[in-house]
Amino acid sequence: MWKRQSIAAKREQRWAWLMVAPTIIGLLVLNYYPLIQTFILSFSKTKTFGAMEFNGIQNYTDMFATPEFWKATWNTVYFCILTVPVGIALALIVAILLNAKVKFKSGFRAIYFLPMVCAPAAIAMVWRWMFNGEYGIINTIINAKVNWLTNPTTAILACAIVAIWSSIGYDAVLLLSGLQNISKTYYEAARIDGAGPIKQFFSITMPMISPTLFVTLIMRMMASLKVYDLIYMMIDQTNPVLPEVQSLMYLFYREAFVAGNKGYASAIVIWTILLIGVVTIFQFIGQKKWVNYDV
Amino acid sequence: MKADSMQSGRRWTTALTYFFLIVGSLIMIFPFLWMILTSLKSLSESMQIPPTIFPAVYYFSNFKDALTSLPFGALYFNTIVMVFFRVICAILFSSMAGYAFAKLHFRGKNFLFTLVLVQMMMPSQIFVIPQYEMLASVSLTESLFALVFPGLVSAFGTFFLRQSYLGIPNEIGEAAYLDGCNQWQSFVKVMLPLTGTSVAALTIFTAVFAYADLMWPLVVNTDINLMTLSSGLATLKGQFTTNYPVLMAGSLFAMIPMLILYLIFQRQFIEGIALTGGK
Amino acid sequence: MKHTKRIIALVLACVLALALTACGKGGKSDGNLTMQIWDNSQRESMQALADAYHELNPDVTIEVQVTSWDEYWTKLEAAAGSGNLPDIFWMHTNYILLYADNGMLADVTDLYDDDTYSHYSDISIANTQGSDGRMYGIPKDKDTVCLVYNKEMFDAAGVSYPDENWTWDDLTAASQAIYDATGKYGYMAYADDQLGYWNFVYQNGGYILNDDKTAAGFDQPATIDAMKFYIGLQQNDWCPTQTYFAETAPGNAFFSEQGAMFLEGTWNLMAEMKNYPEMQGKWDVAVLPKCPDPVSGDGRATISNGLCYATSADNQDDEIIMGFLKWLGTEEAQQIHSSYGAAISGYEGTEQAWIDAFDQFDYRLNVEACIEMFDYSVQSVNDATRPNWKSKVSDELLKIYSGELGVDEGLANMNTIVNDAIAEGAE
Repeated sequence: MWKRQSIAAKREQRWAWLMVAPTIIGLLVLNYYPLIQTFILSFSKTKTFGAMEFNGIQNYTDMFATPEFWKATWNTVYFCILTVPVGIALALIVAILLNAKVKFKSGFRAIYFLPMVCAPAAIAMVWRWMFNGEYGIINTIINAKVNWLTNPTTAILACAIVAIWSSIGYDAVLLLSGLQNISKTYYEAARIDGAGPIKQFFSITMPMISPTLFVTLIMRMMASLKVYDLIYMMIDQTNPVLPEVQSLMYLFYREAFVAGNKGYASAIVIWTILLIGVVTIFQFIGQKKWVNYDV
Repeated sequence: MKADSMQSGRRWTTALTYFFLIVGSLIMIFPFLWMILTSLKSLSESMQIPPTIFPAVYYFSNFKDALTSLPFGALYFNTIVMVFFRVICAILFSSMAGYAFAKLHFRGKNFLFTLVLVQMMMPSQIFVIPQYEMLASVSLTESLFALVFPGLVSAFGTFFLRQSYLGIPNEIGEAAYLDGCNQWQSFVKVMLPLTGTSVAALTIFTAVFAYADLMWPLVVNTDINLMTLSSGLATLKGQFTTNYPVLMAGSLFAMIPMLILYLIFQRQFIEGIALTGGK
Repeated sequence: MKHTKRIIALVLACVLALALTACGKGGKSDGNLTMQIWDNSQRESMQALADAYHELNPDVTIEVQVTSWDEYWTKLEAAAGSGNLPDIFWMHTNYILLYADNGMLADVTDLYDDDTYSHYSDISIANTQGSDGRMYGIPKDKDTVCLVYNKEMFDAAGVSYPDENWTWDDLTAASQAIYDATGKYGYMAYADDQLGYWNFVYQNGGYILNDDKTAAGFDQPATIDAMKFYIGLQQNDWCPTQTYFAETAPGNAFFSEQGAMFLEGTWNLMAEMKNYPEMQGKWDVAVLPKCPDPVSGDGRATISNGLCYATSADNQDDEIIMGFLKWLGTEEAQQIHSSYGAAISGYEGTEQAWIDAFDQFDYRLNVEACIEMFDYSVQSVNDATRPNWKSKVSDELLKIYSGELGVDEGLANMNTIVNDAIAEGAE
């Protein structure tokens, strides 16, 4: 619909377009062009070095008929369930503690931040070392012999623990930035009214931090549904437990880069994006219930 | 409520705060302690059953081996250059776009914002080969620019900053507008400074994302002198056997620049708070 | 301020647009060549070759670049698809048929006017051939699989060291004795093809692929027997299970003195001597134990693989690149390559240089054993469809190890997987 626009509105629109242009052009070139390629590939039978032929929805019907694929989908969702709620809750607690009046605040912050400044390969390496069933320190500490990384039930748990450990600092920094935007005067007023810490948390902190919490949640959710690196580095391809922990993107990697099935692998990616899309849409619908934008 | 019961309640809160912070810190720091201890062991001791806590013999030579096996000077430099430019791009473009999406009215806004959101859902693995081909077609692989390339724009940054602009009352912008500022001026002079903490957080995020990126630098640059710390370390991992203590020593070296960056930024972070603190 | 920002944005947009529309680079090389490899421990010897060639041809400079194994192939495939292959690169038998049969590699069959290729063994030549029998690379090296053992553990158990008379029975008996005496693992048999079951299958007279590569051999009695023997080794207390190997590579287990024996490729020996100085003198190498009662043959075999130097088909007429490639196949270059001890050059007669490289250590490994095995070596299993079946076969093997599948059932599946891939490839 064409609405008559005032000169001011037109000018505003021109500015707006100019300001979003670099980002949008960049996204189109860097990300949407590859996405379209992937989309086309997902309807093709690929041969090596870019040669391909259209084969309709064959890749998708193959994919839906494979138990391995459904298992990977479940593993991905399960990983998300394991990591996101616990991870965000812990990060929120850490952020609130770090926002309190404590000594050595910057020291504590640095410690919680440490996993972020460590190369992911090194993180996976040291945790593998600690989880090792034979000479791992974790088994020594808990005085048990658990084959963390080779037992189907514990392997994904171990991956989730590492994921939470390495993302807490991340999420806490985000939430901290939200907490610090809350003016102290609100708390002072609440305290004068006689509200205790718990009441303050639910009546001031939660509503005020909800926009940031929402970003954190969205981001963490997307990241966990796309998980690949961590599982790849924790679970070798020769580990018999692989089918039990293999995420969608791990399956993609194995199909695209190891087996050379680019078309089939592309179908997996499209499915993953749809999955994330659905989850995100629900979150955007759900946010209206709890996210508070009236500052 | 009586004053003294509030006093003791607060003391309890403080004690609990410290307790949880310290317990949490121990959990957070333990893997690093283990990394340091392992980096000082011989390979056979590092795999001993049951594990030893402190090395029987201290192998400081692991650090020497790690230093000689990689050109750390070049790796530090490249990592810093890559992180710096990615951060600049992310802040610049995402602030502009985030502001426009939050505060301005324009045709196509919802559609364009959907583009931003959907990008965040895409797994980065699908970008690697097309982006490599783009750079290869203009002979820009094997360069520092290639390291920056995928981070020229940031969908996450746009989303994140939009969120923080949404948190700024519209009246502030309108007041500036009435004072005779145009959209750009009210953005740069009034709104942008108000997002200080979010920009600081985005800086840390972008830096960490860039630093953690493993596959892209390895694919686009092969020359070890054009690699980043994370990807350089990955070349140390052998196909069949790996000397883990040396690799851990190398990983510790690799943490140094990010740690310094963080410590510098910690101050920025607090100054950023000072900017918005008056709200 | 505002102008600069807009200019930056504009420039950026132009760069991006350019990246999309610009054409690939063309033309001939200018004397600055790049050579890509995946093994960091061979950087030194490759640099020596580059320097030596630069000495002979001052106009040509070669830069050696190393990537890790996984990224090497990701990158090479992207580069091949977009016509940006490096000037010279290593090619592995896992991939050569894929690249050669798709016309990615320059044909070097007629590179020499003289009899240079006659100095290479048939296996070395075969490892560089495409499915059409033409050569698509200059043989770089050749290898065998040998038995690596821990001398101290043998001494502790009072067992004599492995020698050329050893059979599978000696292997298991020694493993048991070492486990009983020291509590350490014996022979560490894990789910691997080249460094594992292939050797046993061929020793027993079985095969993975038949001679004309039209059918899989997992249904052959000799293959089945050998596979059962190999997989069954993990039933013994002295052999770690596959779950152990999922966390700990056998090489790491061996060099941290957790186990007494494993199969190792000759290309790793030099790096292992250098990387584990405190282990020098505690271990040595021997020929593979033979099969005591093979279904056919004399019970001896070791898998022999070999890499080659290749270049893009686009460079077929590039004199500078082909000139360097040609030199790499000469005795002089192969001699230099061998003398670094990382890999054994393909050129026959340069083996001694590789052996001599081990003289630099106080304890000299018995690397002659590795050379000796070339007499009965078997070419590494390969066909054009192997990329399609390799990982699937290894998944089946893991299912057998985990007990999800019986051995017979699993082997039958493996046979079907390979045959299906061959049939699909023939379409």
